[in-house]
Amino acid sequence: MTHTPWQQLLDSATAVPGVRGAVLVSVDDGLVIAESAMDHLATADVAALASAIVQRACRVSAAAGHRTPHSVRVSGEAGTLMAFAADGLLWLVAVADPSAELGRLRLLLGDLAASLRG
Amino acid sequence: MTLPAPSSSTPPRGHAFLELGERLRRRGQLDAAATVTAAGLVHYPDLAAAHDLLGRIRADQHDDVAATSAWNVALECDHGHVGARKGLAFLAFRIGDIAAAERHLESAVLAAPHDPEITSALDRVRGSIAASSTGPVLLDDPSGGIMVFDRDGMRLIGGVGPDASDAVADAVAAECAAVVREAARTTRLLHLGTWHQVIVEGPDARSALFPVSDDAALLLVRGATTPVGRVVAAGHRATATAREWLARMT
Repeated sequence: MTHTPWQQLLDSATAVPGVRGAVLVSVDDGLVIAESAMDHLATADVAALASAIVQRACRVSAAAGHRTPHSVRVSGEAGTLMAFAADGLLWLVAVADPSAELGRLRLLLGDLAASLRG
Repeated sequence: MTLPAPSSSTPPRGHAFLELGERLRRRGQLDAAATVTAAGLVHYPDLAAAHDLLGRIRADQHDDVAATSAWNVALECDHGHVGARKGLAFLAFRIGDIAAAERHLESAVLAAPHDPEITSALDRVRGSIAASSTGPVLLDDPSGGIMVFDRDGMRLIGGVGPDASDAVADAVAAECAAVVREAARTTRLLHLGTWHQVIVEGPDARSALFPVSDDAALLLVRGATTPVGRVVAAGHRATATAREWLARMT
């Protein structure tokens, strides 16, 4: 997949009200592959932190005898980080405000991640 | 759902009245059983097992109010008393309060995650919810787990399911503590406020982590078909119970 369709996918995630940004991340090294974000969102930090927690969540699943998870969501009082497995080590990550419709965003990111696999 | 059996068949020394009272109850000599148990309680008023036995006797006598009272006292003596939780669940189920029955059994699972009687009772209670529902409801996986662990990844109580060993639960607790640390770091550095939940979805399970205190967190594990909202709701309820339990323990 070229960068342009990636960008379109990321832009469609960012178009959801309350989403501060969406980043395609390589969880192996925590680097940004593509991004669509508001200026104040530090996407490099998002990539690094999302990668760390995804890797930890994978270790929990392995310890429990479960297969690798396909999504991880971290919620705080002032926002949420959602990460969905896309293609191999690529994960689609979004950061949203508390006002965002998380149910809708969860479905959208799941669909976008699935399209990245295709 | 049936009236629960006593949690232990061998009372400690000095508590022989428990064995006698239970034997009389099983023979149907309920008045005599109540007299023996009440006499024992005079000497051991803080013995949760005695109040639990009295609860079972009163339930057999169809005196639900007295049974509820006895089991509530048992929980005051020992907040994690499994017999009392099962008894209260039985009474709630008998009067059709399925939600309360489920809540008591979930608390019992927290105290005794590997007790097959509790998990099968929970299964039956949830099965009755499905039977009474008008729509398609995907229920929790009765083989799911619930666990509380400290900031160092040491398991405090619970497990990750009846099929998982304590060693597996300990390993999961250790890894979960790392997830909690990462969640706290992530929300702090991205200005997302204090973390309040982590949800992990996979092909085999849906898991959720919740903070119980500054030093402890709770892990809830459910089947992959359990609706996410239900996982979160069950997690919030379990977290409230865990906070009470932790406050009594410390």
